[in-house]
Amino acid sequence: MTSSTTEDGRVHVESGLMRESLVSKSLNEATESGRVRPMVPDVKFIAIGGQSIMDRGASAVLPLVDMIVELNQTYKLIIGVGGGARARHTFSIGLDLGLPIGGLARIMGGVEEQNRDMLQFLLAPHGGITFVKDHLQDLQMFLKGNLIPVCIGQPPYHFYEPPPEHGALPENGSDTGLFLMAELMGADQMIYVKDVDGLYREDPDVNPDAEFIAEATAADVTSWELADLPLERNLLECVENARLVQTIHLVNGLKPETIKMALEGQPVGTKIRSSRNRGAA
Amino acid sequence: MSNKPQDGRIWINGLETNLTGKTLSHLDMADIKRETPPIRVLPDVWVVKVGGQSVMDRGRDAVFPIIEELVKANEAGVRFIMGVGGGTRARHAYAMALDLGLPTAALAKIGASIPIQNARMLQMLTAKDNGIMVYHDDFEKLPLYLQTGCIPIISGMPPFEFWEKAPNVGRLPQNRTDAGLYLLSEFLGAKGMIYIKDEDGLYTADPKTHPDATYIPETTAKELLDSGQDDLVVERVVLQYMMRAEHMREIQIINGTTPGNVTKALNGEIVGTVIRA
Repeated sequence: MTSSTTEDGRVHVESGLMRESLVSKSLNEATESGRVRPMVPDVKFIAIGGQSIMDRGASAVLPLVDMIVELNQTYKLIIGVGGGARARHTFSIGLDLGLPIGGLARIMGGVEEQNRDMLQFLLAPHGGITFVKDHLQDLQMFLKGNLIPVCIGQPPYHFYEPPPEHGALPENGSDTGLFLMAELMGADQMIYVKDVDGLYREDPDVNPDAEFIAEATAADVTSWELADLPLERNLLECVENARLVQTIHLVNGLKPETIKMALEGQPVGTKIRSSRNRGAA
Repeated sequence: MSNKPQDGRIWINGLETNLTGKTLSHLDMADIKRETPPIRVLPDVWVVKVGGQSVMDRGRDAVFPIIEELVKANEAGVRFIMGVGGGTRARHAYAMALDLGLPTAALAKIGASIPIQNARMLQMLTAKDNGIMVYHDDFEKLPLYLQTGCIPIISGMPPFEFWEKAPNVGRLPQNRTDAGLYLLSEFLGAKGMIYIKDEDGLYTADPKTHPDATYIPETTAKELLDSGQDDLVVERVVLQYMMRAEHMREIQIINGTTPGNVTKALNGEIVGTVIRA
């Protein structure tokens, strides 16, 4: 049983961190660990691009919906979705109006909610439901009911979005937000569905002979400083620091069967993994 | 409305901007500059943090005189938002959660409950003097509360909770109540950010355990980060954020257990350690 102590004028509850400054480097080092416990480990997380998939409308979205419905027969799925063209328009107007970084981040979720609601509508006959942050701890109920939770990606940093290291836009977007959810769940697989076959060392539209990358570490991809990336740069750092979801998978949603192949463990798309192997027990 | 397909995507006239069709990960995005500085949302309002371990956990002896000074300042027309930290109960919860093998994001979620308890205590103590509880979703009503002479009281924790990132080292959430209130002050373009603690400011080491530590009246975020000092008076991420901030390039840490300090700081005087970006 814990007890309390007051000799320095503060009432402390005795614990390993009692009186410690949580800022201390050495204390933080002492809290390092390998594997942590997963929250909902048997789910497959599928992140659907806004600009790359949703903005293409029926031709891209409907076959993907059919695939999700099929896969839900076999797997427990969580579907996340990004913003796309309207997100870029929002940023553009918001920057012109001089909104601070937290203001831009606060309004971004709106367009993702529209995409979520469209996907949820299409999936509803097959068990699609909206999955919002306040129900994160109810996830098991949805999965046990064989439902398909559909959520937005933007992390709820809102007005508290930290100032960006580079540029003028919030650096925590939907790819990052969905990864943080998957890592919390300890999801079995995290699959990003975009409109490219995977990563190339150069832009394949410019150089048709560009080298395709089937697998790489997040640290390597960061160091290559590719001019363009189909994933958020911040996501790579999150993958590096992960303890549970140490590999993400990028596949082409314009070929929906690639999602099924990835879930079955067949070689497809690009795998990006952590070089830290922090999850070692 | 005209739909014009472009690259297989659905467009409408007027939707196109300089960001259209680009991935936001393109290296070009790092070069986007603001043509004008961001607006200040509430420029005349201070953000004040009442320390958790340093003030709240001392109980009545520390809390009452500080509240008295804050209430008097409010009556004199100084507008501020009162945030509060967690303290020793948050540490106990973190210790338990670490022991149970929970990840950083779960610690951040669990840690959020304690500053809310503290905020509610402060609200009860200041209700007769117009203290009101404010939650993250109430921010857009802050002008009303301030206009009517209320003291908005909020938890210092940022709303990251389950979305708190794992740090490079360790499992403790790096964005706690210092960071939450700092980010709030930066978003608001506030008048200033004042941390009320139980030390005169920054020392070369924790003066509670190192009585020979030297006092530092003024320093920069970069100097502090580069110093390699094991302990700091404010969360490390605050210093990192300050260096990239548009508005809040200076914070002050004061000793609230010294009578008059809170009043003076809200009058714009320097009574503690000033850290500049």
